[in-house]
Amino acid sequence: MDDVTEPPTIDLKGRRILAVDDDRINLRIIGGILRHEGYEIAEASSGEQALEVYAAFKPNLVLLDVMMPGIDGFTTCRTLKKTYGDKCAPVIFVTAKSEADDVVMGFDAGGVDYLAKPFRPKEVVARIRTHLSNQQLVEQQKDLVAQLSKANLAKDRFLGMCAHDLRNPLSSIRGLAELMDEDAIGVLTGEQKEIIRTIHAASQSMLQLVNELLDVATIEAGHLKLNKAATSIAELVERSVHLSRMEAAKKSTRIEMVRTEKDPIVEVDRDKMKQVVDNLISNAVKYSPKGSVITVIVHSDADAAGFAVRDNGPGIPDNERHKLFKDYGRLSSIPTGGEKSTGLGLAICRKIVEAHNGTIGYSNIGGSGAEFFVSLPLPK
Amino acid sequence: MNFTGSIMLVDDEAHIRKFISLLLRHLGISRIYEAPNGSEAIELFKKVRPDLVMLDVNMPVMDGLETLKALKEVDENCVVVMLTSLANRQTIDTAVNLGAANYIRKDAPPEEIGRALAETIDSCFEDAEPGEEPK
Repeated sequence: MDDVTEPPTIDLKGRRILAVDDDRINLRIIGGILRHEGYEIAEASSGEQALEVYAAFKPNLVLLDVMMPGIDGFTTCRTLKKTYGDKCAPVIFVTAKSEADDVVMGFDAGGVDYLAKPFRPKEVVARIRTHLSNQQLVEQQKDLVAQLSKANLAKDRFLGMCAHDLRNPLSSIRGLAELMDEDAIGVLTGEQKEIIRTIHAASQSMLQLVNELLDVATIEAGHLKLNKAATSIAELVERSVHLSRMEAAKKSTRIEMVRTEKDPIVEVDRDKMKQVVDNLISNAVKYSPKGSVITVIVHSDADAAGFAVRDNGPGIPDNERHKLFKDYGRLSSIPTGGEKSTGLGLAICRKIVEAHNGTIGYSNIGGSGAEFFVSLPLPK
Repeated sequence: MNFTGSIMLVDDEAHIRKFISLLLRHLGISRIYEAPNGSEAIELFKKVRPDLVMLDVNMPVMDGLETLKALKEVDENCVVVMLTSLANRQTIDTAVNLGAANYIRKDAPPEEIGRALAETIDSCFEDAEPGEEPK
């Protein structure tokens, strides 16, 4: 997507910092530096007080002295992490220079960084700015993710509505038109036939569009559930070939099926795999010149079986091959009978085949057409 | 199709009833009854005793599964084919467990619907064609 609103630039003014130190002078120094930067500061002079102030002040960052009477900095930090979990503000420990062990223990206790005393104001400001920015980015990202999932849910709901409220009437329109074309309510005049065929073709392409959008939505939402069953590839392919012949006959295109003596059996979701076969055959019909021959081949070897669809079409130009199998990857090829294309069909095929751990691919056959093939693992 | 029995078609959407009934007539089935909802379907079923019921799954008030249960209570041997649009495996399994003979995607092209119906009729009425005069 090109026009998503850019996240706002990071403005850290007014961010809240809790400074904890039993040494009042230290607190005054650090408070001075940070207020100057536009942060809001709260102070606590012990671990116990820090826990209380934290609850009321809800800081974006905590500066925590390690050595304090009462509970020390590490314990305070662990308590904060335990109480607030993921939502706990980042903690930066303040420690005397040279106490390398403190640094390690600080990280163990859940600190994100440390500052050595005596302070160098520039270092304090830079480190705090880094952590506050990081934290703000994380928050923004969380917000964005939440907004996006909400938007995605709305999209899914909308598409669900399309499913029921558009698909059913569209299939009725298409079915009624087809029946009238077959003279189910009496013989039609030439002009009536032409009109009814227009209605049929228009409803057919709308239905296909709605179906493909729905498929993409379902697959993207991770709802592609496979109901696998042992299936004969030859039988599956034969069914699709049979049903596609009518469509092909309109363009005087013939579909021939070539099968080996073997009858490979694969574990597939029949409805979904039939969709793949249908799609590849219908593409072949769509892009082949009128009167050509489409060959559907069932093949198998030791550990894989599948099928291939060959056509006499123009093939796919090399510079467009990367677009095949991608969402909305429409190519420059134009259907030879004015059919419609959403550019989603092959992307859906790829997703279905990959969900079966299979491969789908394409090759040009020496200037005389295209071949799409699907290969599926044989059950061991 | 040489099915001479009667079929009751239950769907809340008028255009679906129009489409399927025209398809049935086109396939040579002349005795077609229609009901727009579950409760009318049960009343009509009791009156006309159709040989086969084509029953929509998604209907307001009394859905297809409830209607199926009620029909099976009236006649446990009645042949019911569920009409679905998006095939929902779970619903279909439930329907089959409740005694449905098959399911048909009503968003399929006429030829496919006809074929699915013929398969069901072949498997459910192997021995004697209902409504057929004994030879």
